[in-house]
Amino acid sequence: MKKQPKHLATSVALAIGVTLAASSTFAQSVDTARIDGGGQNDWLTYHGSYKSYHFSPLAQINASNVANLSVAWIHIPGRSTRGLQSMPLVADGVLYYTGSYSRTFALNGATGEVIWSYFPELDEALIARQTHSPYNRGVAIGEGKVYVGTMDGRLIALDMKTGKVAWDTKLVDSQKLTVGFTGAPLYAKGTVVIGAQGGEWPGRGPIFGVDAATGKKKWEFLTVAGTDEAMKTWGNDSWRTGGGGGWMPGTYDSETNTILWGTANPAPLYDWSGADYKTQGARPGINLYTTSVIALDLDTGKLKSYYQELPHDAWDFDSAVGEFLMLERDGQKLVVHPNKSGFVFVYDRNLGLKNVWRLVENINFVKNIDPKTGELIGRRDFSAGKVESPPLCPYIGGGISWNGGSYNPKTGLYYKIGQEWCMTLEVQKTTPVVAPQVQLNIGADFKMAPPPGGEIYGHLDARDPVTGAKKWEVRFPEPPIASVLSTAGNLVFVPDARGVVHAYDAETGTELWNHNNGTGHQGGIVSYSVGGKQYVAMTAGFGGMLSDDYAANFGGVFKSMPRDDGALIVYSLK
Amino acid sequence: MSLRLNGTALQAAVFAALAWTMPAAAQQPAAPSAPDNEPLNVGQLFASTCGFCHSDGGRAAGKGPQLMDSPRDDDFLRNRIKNGKNGAMPAFGASFSDAQVHEIIKYIRALKPHQG
Repeated sequence: MKKQPKHLATSVALAIGVTLAASSTFAQSVDTARIDGGGQNDWLTYHGSYKSYHFSPLAQINASNVANLSVAWIHIPGRSTRGLQSMPLVADGVLYYTGSYSRTFALNGATGEVIWSYFPELDEALIARQTHSPYNRGVAIGEGKVYVGTMDGRLIALDMKTGKVAWDTKLVDSQKLTVGFTGAPLYAKGTVVIGAQGGEWPGRGPIFGVDAATGKKKWEFLTVAGTDEAMKTWGNDSWRTGGGGGWMPGTYDSETNTILWGTANPAPLYDWSGADYKTQGARPGINLYTTSVIALDLDTGKLKSYYQELPHDAWDFDSAVGEFLMLERDGQKLVVHPNKSGFVFVYDRNLGLKNVWRLVENINFVKNIDPKTGELIGRRDFSAGKVESPPLCPYIGGGISWNGGSYNPKTGLYYKIGQEWCMTLEVQKTTPVVAPQVQLNIGADFKMAPPPGGEIYGHLDARDPVTGAKKWEVRFPEPPIASVLSTAGNLVFVPDARGVVHAYDAETGTELWNHNNGTGHQGGIVSYSVGGKQYVAMTAGFGGMLSDDYAANFGGVFKSMPRDDGALIVYSLK
Repeated sequence: MSLRLNGTALQAAVFAALAWTMPAAAQQPAAPSAPDNEPLNVGQLFASTCGFCHSDGGRAAGKGPQLMDSPRDDDFLRNRIKNGKNGAMPAFGASFSDAQVHEIIKYIRALKPHQG
């Protein structure tokens, strides 16, 4: 706080100081048009804009000067149980981000000074019973409010200027269903959309549309058997405990007023049906709308179209993980969507399939997916018993995880992390447990295993997003599990699992800079500008469920890495 | 809830429980009932729940520590199962009776490497 002249009473001086700071900082409101446009200096929604590029058009920091990057400021949110997974947002020089337990902060983007903070009171007895908890992956902003989900099933709206609660709506009976909201919401045109977690949990995986002004629930779409047609794809009433969910934000297509969203896997994750999955096993049928991409009307939540990436997903390879890149190629509007299996799907804007390409080498849950028809060729459906030789590839962690990839319109390349790891498992018949509260229903004992004849590793690929043609690749000894950022400065930033953030030349993949942030990364990274100065902000802090595997399987620095700590670290040029 | 029912009896038990728990948001939550004292199929429990973190049915370290040949005493294991560990393991105290926790500990103590 600036010092005021001595003849003013301190409290008056402070009030003036705060008001002046507020009015100059909060210049314009954030609305759908602004989010659609992307904004030069801002990061207005989880994926950067509705195009979902995870790309910044800023070029003040670029390939020729990135070696001069240094830390501008740091913020420590506190109570970072399971580290930090959050994607910061920035609007008009103010950065909004969350820590664990949905602790929400508004910071001065140039200095890191805390403008306001809000810590919701959560049902901590419930949190203690959860697995993917107390995760929070970030906020949405729009019409003067900041929206954040909680692990006890609520969506909260905070006044963007003051952090005061505007409304607090309970959407999921988390006390009963054990699941809540891990992911960031999406704001579009007066509606806030958020999806529950749930693939491993015997529920029905709801996605909600909530009125941004009042907090009233407008609609709810059940990803498990949400229509009469879909109900028929679950034999023996298995839809009652079907799993599903939509735990990462999708995007908004303003031309058609449509929400595009990815849905989670069905439960149990591993079925014992064998090849006859349509009539036998835990959940006979193709299990709509799990492991699908769906298009919902923004205002009514009604299903407009869908494509099921993996019918009867028997491997936990959600469609919930991936961003929806909205591209154009040869005059055709396309949507590119990565699936957790390691395949990337390319659609037209009505979710008509155009192509499927493979990001990941070690895949054997299918022999292939037909790029024209999407048919799963040579799928491995298991019966009860051991799966060892060959192991199942990829591992339950996926060939692709929920960390965002980046599309750079200047290079035309999609920068995406691929994961090469497999698993042995023993499938067992299980029974869904829903009383006294819902429990996990996995369906197998399992263990991480190296790929046949190879080592576990991760890789950053630079690919043509439509054809999958590879331009370059950088390998990592363990898969990086944070999101990736690319910029118009010809840079790709990758925060890795060991704690080092790297910058690569976006055209060639040459490493230009790196810096150790002190602990592993599993969250977001953005770039923005305040007062003519560009910043790159990222969260550091390891400890989510996926990173839990690293100490036992990789040793090294992961053995001493904290799982209850984290920081927001912001870089700029001196 | 017993995990050892089979066939129609199993379906009936599951659906009876579900009749007053599903669908999610529309209904009032039923008061949580006390944990069952029925015998537990702990092997199946691992495949559905514990094995998510305790790899290979508890035989290998993964997300969670190896349980086979655990150096921890019974009091430690009981406390950990019931209360969990903040940011690492869920609390299962409301899910299992003391008798069921005892069976889980017996199962852990009996864990051996896979044969063959």
